[in-house]
Amino acid sequence: MTERNELPFHPANQHDTDIAQRFAALYVATPTVEAGQVERCARSVLAQAVHQRSRSAWGTSHVRWWWGAAAAAALVTMTLTARRGAAPADVVGVHGAVTTLDKNAVRFDLRLPSSAKAVAVVGDFNGWDEHATPMAREKRNGSWSVSVPMAAGRHVYAFVVDGAQWVVDPMAPQVPNDGYGPANAVVVEGLPK
Amino acid sequence: MIAGSLVGLALAGQLLSIASGMLPQPMRDTVRNGIEAQRSSEQQAQFDAARFDSVTALSLRSYLDAAIEQGIPTAPLINRALEGSARKKSGAEIMRAVRLFGAALAQAMAALGPGTPVAELEAGASALRAGVDEKSLAAIRAVRPAGAAIIPLMVLTDIKQRGVPIVTAIDAVTAIARMPTSDEALNGLRETVAKNAVRGPGMAVDALTRYLKSTASGSKPASAPAALDRKPIRPPSP
Repeated sequence: MTERNELPFHPANQHDTDIAQRFAALYVATPTVEAGQVERCARSVLAQAVHQRSRSAWGTSHVRWWWGAAAAAALVTMTLTARRGAAPADVVGVHGAVTTLDKNAVRFDLRLPSSAKAVAVVGDFNGWDEHATPMAREKRNGSWSVSVPMAAGRHVYAFVVDGAQWVVDPMAPQVPNDGYGPANAVVVEGLPK
Repeated sequence: MIAGSLVGLALAGQLLSIASGMLPQPMRDTVRNGIEAQRSSEQQAQFDAARFDSVTALSLRSYLDAAIEQGIPTAPLINRALEGSARKKSGAEIMRAVRLFGAALAQAMAALGPGTPVAELEAGASALRAGVDEKSLAAIRAVRPAGAAIIPLMVLTDIKQRGVPIVTAIDAVTAIARMPTSDEALNGLRETVAKNAVRGPGMAVDALTRYLKSTASGSKPASAPAALDRKPIRPPSP
């Protein structure tokens, strides 16, 4: 113990000796560590060790310049994919057009960005029966269309994609949503009932 | 011979009236109830109970009977119910939607007045459900007679739903509805608002105001979105 308290140089005078003795007293009187502090330190070290282990599963964690390029490319790809091939239920991506042919028939044209298998138009004109008015796919542009005879007046309708997804035309007249979901309206010219 | 036939018909009529008068009261009530039930079933011809579960069908039938007694048309209510069934909604949701729409139909009948066609009542009820008040419906009725207000009501409902304040919407629709060939102008207004509402309600109101000014002045209405024909102006440098 005495040897450990000796300085690695020879004190030149009494002042150096006093300093050496003061240092030695400080080392000897090292305060005792609290149990809670030891536990906190142990947890911190353990957490850091676990974190390093999890990071080692992904290999070395050196930052590479091409990581940024890959992230940018992935972002651009995701954006383009979302614009070109949105899900059928994505109302924003749907563009439908309603064209009144004559006084008693309405032609529905619906362009879907995805490859839907079956599309039908439902409304008060067919008792909201999704099997009553199926739409046919146009070979030239892939849009879905059907011409429906209708009485004069106001009619409410929507599109059903693959028997499950209800789709509306965001640019066509909207009707209030009473807990059912959105729907469109169309007015056929003529004297209503 | 002709006189003999007339005498025979008269006798037959007398016999029938006597026979009907001789029917006991319970039987006459039964006949009357049967006739009324037949009328009710004719008015509810579109109601297909097989599309609903038994509880919902029973509730719906009793509600439709009550609606008939109040003079409310049942076809729009049946359509609401069928829409809910097609969307696979629960019976409670269907009945809630039907009741709300029935109440709106009654309000629309009071606001639009007698002689209003069912399609127009339905458009009025739809407007009420979108947040339009009864005074606005009366304002539409003031500028359009019965049977000619469907398009103004539909346009009012649509632009209200796209974020245009009701005061602005009703002023614009009634102003255009007074003009000749106003249905085309109203459809143009709706399309302009729909295009611009994608960029926010403020843009929709801005486009509505510009459309109204151009329509009132007789110039060609601006159909392009408001943001595309405006270039940002850089403030002058000091």
